[in-house]
Amino acid sequence: MTDLIQLTPVDLLVATVLVLAAGVVSLAMRLDIEKRLALSAVRTVVQLGLVGLILERVFALRRPIVVLAILAVMILFAGREASNRSTRAYRGMRWDSLLAMGATCLVVGAVVTQVVVGVQPWYDPQYVIPLLGMILGNSLNGVSLCLERLLEYLSARRHEVELRLVFGATRSEALREPIRAAVRTGMIPVTNIMAAAGIVALPGMMTGQILAGAPPMQAVAYQIVIMFTLAAANAMGSMLIATAAARRLVAADGRLKIEQLR
Amino acid sequence: MTPLLRCGPLSAEDGEGRRLYSGVTVSLDEECLTVLEGPSGGGKSTLLRQIAGLAPSEGVTRELGGCRWGGKALPGWRSEVNLLMQDAPIIPESVLENLKFPYDLKSAGDRVFDSKKAGKLLDEVGLGSIALDRPASTLSGGERHRLAIVRALLWVPAVLLADEPLSGLDGPRASRCFDLLREHARRPGHAVLCVLHDPTMGRGADRRLCLESERLTVL
Repeated sequence: MTDLIQLTPVDLLVATVLVLAAGVVSLAMRLDIEKRLALSAVRTVVQLGLVGLILERVFALRRPIVVLAILAVMILFAGREASNRSTRAYRGMRWDSLLAMGATCLVVGAVVTQVVVGVQPWYDPQYVIPLLGMILGNSLNGVSLCLERLLEYLSARRHEVELRLVFGATRSEALREPIRAAVRTGMIPVTNIMAAAGIVALPGMMTGQILAGAPPMQAVAYQIVIMFTLAAANAMGSMLIATAAARRLVAADGRLKIEQLR
Repeated sequence: MTPLLRCGPLSAEDGEGRRLYSGVTVSLDEECLTVLEGPSGGGKSTLLRQIAGLAPSEGVTRELGGCRWGGKALPGWRSEVNLLMQDAPIIPESVLENLKFPYDLKSAGDRVFDSKKAGKLLDEVGLGSIALDRPASTLSGGERHRLAIVRALLWVPAVLLADEPLSGLDGPRASRCFDLLREHARRPGHAVLCVLHDPTMGRGADRRLCLESERLTVL
């Protein structure tokens, strides 16, 4: 890591020229996104800057309670974001997405940090926070896609579900196809990423490690662990949210409670 | 005589909170085709969906052949009190799969798909020339309704709740399908409740009910 090129504030200012160039393109082509671009750029600087400051403090403190508190906040935001992305809603959706994100993050995160990587001590923030952050960020995509697909299925293909119900299908029989379709959709991003890894582009984390001076094979090993972790997280998160949502929208007696869907 | 099916009290409101009917109890006699008439928007479809347990219904007693059904046993009730839905929905598979899928459900029990009987019924409703491997999504509205009738009759439910099963059918075909529903209804241990808008055909029923002004009356 000795040959790491340090970035200075001046380097960041130079990089600002690039985002300004994007703004000039927007103005020249009347894309009308320059304000959004500027706001997003400012948000990137402020948000990442804050995260950097917090992480530096947390890394220095190395206290388990602080790490757990940060994880709790991350899970809360991820759960909220997953339900906010859906165009439809039902009562209890926020709780369901929070449960799906939280359970996925904790179970898959525990396996990868404690069993696969073997972080010592168990709460080492340098490993635990970025790894769980990646898990949350990626399963957030899967969970929100899965939720959207399930709600769209139950709404648009309601009669198809009811057609099975009128022949005496149980709740689980009637929900098998909608849940399957939703989980499949939730898994698409991670399977796409895995299939294209290294061919279309180097994955973000691996690029970061190589830039930071890690040996490429070590970066590859980490990236493989991450990919498999993300696959498990997406599968688990999607399955949890689809099951939780489906059980809220179909009563135990099999009635589709479409009136709950807004 | 004890009715074959008894379900009530049923009350419902439309989407705007207007009362459709209140405290209605539906009784269907064995070996009897009952026709349900009434103005559009009066709640006939909702009534059938409530009997089938697909629309919200609180504190309702459902009895079939003297036995009560409710709660988690409702899927079993639906397999015996089968609803022929108004829009004749299909699953996005072949015509054959649309006839066969109910036999993969737990509720099928000892029921087995009878391809010979299916062929005969398809002939009777005028679908005999349709390729069974054809995607059901390519069927016309009238063809879907006839396919739904065949599927329901093959299943042989104790009670068939048919919600406008003849819509989109021309005169002779509608008449043949109505005859088939009546034949099913008049078998021992069976009954049919059929929503119809055609008063001429309705006169061929054994009993006529009318849902109007929030009340269910016998005509």
